Amino acid sequence: MTLTENLFENLRLELRRGCLTLAVLAQLRQEYYGYTLRKALAERGLDIDESTLYPLLRRLEAQGLLTSEWREEEKRNKRFYRLSDDGARIFAQLFEEWQAINVSITAAINT
Amino acid sequence: MDLLDRYLEAVKKHLPWQRQDDIIAELKANLEAQLEDKEIEQGRPLTATEMEAWLKELGAPMMVAARYQPQRYLIGPAIFPMYWYVLKIAMFWAFVIYAIVSSVKIFAGDFSNGSAALGAVLQTPGVLLTTAAWVTGIFALVEFGVSRSPSKCGPFAGAASDWSVGTLPLVGADLRAGKKPRSFAQAVAEVVFGFLLLIWLLLFPKNPWLLLGPGALYLRASPYHLAAVWVPFYWCVVALNVFQLAWQCVNLMRGRWQGRQPAQSLAIKTVGLIPIFVLFQAPGHIYASLTNPAVDEALHGAHLAAINHGIYRGVLFGCVIVGLQWLWEIGRISLNSYRKRVAAR
Repeated sequence: MTLTENLFENLRLELRRGCLTLAVLAQLRQEYYGYTLRKALAERGLDIDESTLYPLLRRLEAQGLLTSEWREEEKRNKRFYRLSDDGARIFAQLFEEWQAINVSITAAINT
Repeated sequence: MDLLDRYLEAVKKHLPWQRQDDIIAELKANLEAQLEDKEIEQGRPLTATEMEAWLKELGAPMMVAARYQPQRYLIGPAIFPMYWYVLKIAMFWAFVIYAIVSSVKIFAGDFSNGSAALGAVLQTPGVLLTTAAWVTGIFALVEFGVSRSPSKCGPFAGAASDWSVGTLPLVGADLRAGKKPRSFAQAVAEVVFGFLLLIWLLLFPKNPWLLLGPGALYLRASPYHLAAVWVPFYWCVVALNVFQLAWQCVNLMRGRWQGRQPAQSLAIKTVGLIPIFVLFQAPGHIYASLTNPAVDEALHGAHLAAINHGIYRGVLFGCVIVGLQWLWEIGRISLNSYRKRVAAR
């Protein structure tokens, strides 16, 4: 990997990091367990590694943005996540922020 | 399945014991569901090779487990700028103090012993590493305390939100001159006092009491007198004062009295090295001699040797101090010049 490619990769990961949290919060307005959430995001064009998504779910839960419960589905115990009330409020604020950033960047590109 | 279980067991080893069973149960459910999908897609169970490739794709067990841990820092980003600042200062002063102490120890001991100097040089990295280790250790403890009780620890110095613009360090001419630029009256006073100092110096050879006070009478009555090396030393000091006074007058006439230019400052410090090195080069390191050697040698010869040796050590020490001051000035000016060049790019 050249220096430029490496730099691009680092910047891309940095850009994605915040967006992934927003995407996960958006998707978890519905209930999912880890693997189906990953598939749902992938279907929308957002591939996330297992090693990134599953720990992220734990962190968001520890921060009080998600709630979870163990439930049996298809003869297997799975941990289902959904947005908490606090999570829904913060998601709304983050989404507004993201839209404002999007508008600003688009305006900057078009000038 | 066996490979998956082995993989999960390897991950579990690196997880915190309080949560490891819960995390592994969730990870297993997710990975098994993913594996089932893969098998449905292919219409058959995965071969051992395919299974290995898939698990390898998931990542090394230690790295996967690490993602479940909170981010850990020896010194976190909130404290790091202050740590770096303190480390640089501590390393610099550790080096300066060690250099001075080593020089004094070497010169006060056996001057011809080159191994002492070599030993001091070889020990320098050890001294610097020890200093860095202490600073790092202290800041790591601070980070430990701050990360565990953030509410009990106030914002770190330099990172507090109540800083004031008025307390920021002065820059440029303000910095060189102190709190504010030198006034015209201050610059004139410096020239006047410099002139008076020069007159005092010129009067000294015929009126030694001006410098030595009653000591001049004792010196005249003693069996010793000053050696010849003090004559060139004296004229070097006079010349240095004339040089400095002339430069101050030129600055005053050209309206550049507000701050001393770096080149001027360096030039004066460089010329200032000459008198002390003249003393250092005294032939035979003789600074005092007997007025009547034939009469006084037996009684005062041993004392004279001790006096000359004592003065020589003092001169040597002075040379080291003045040399370090000069190097410091060179370093400071070079650094400022480099920063200006970088800022201008």
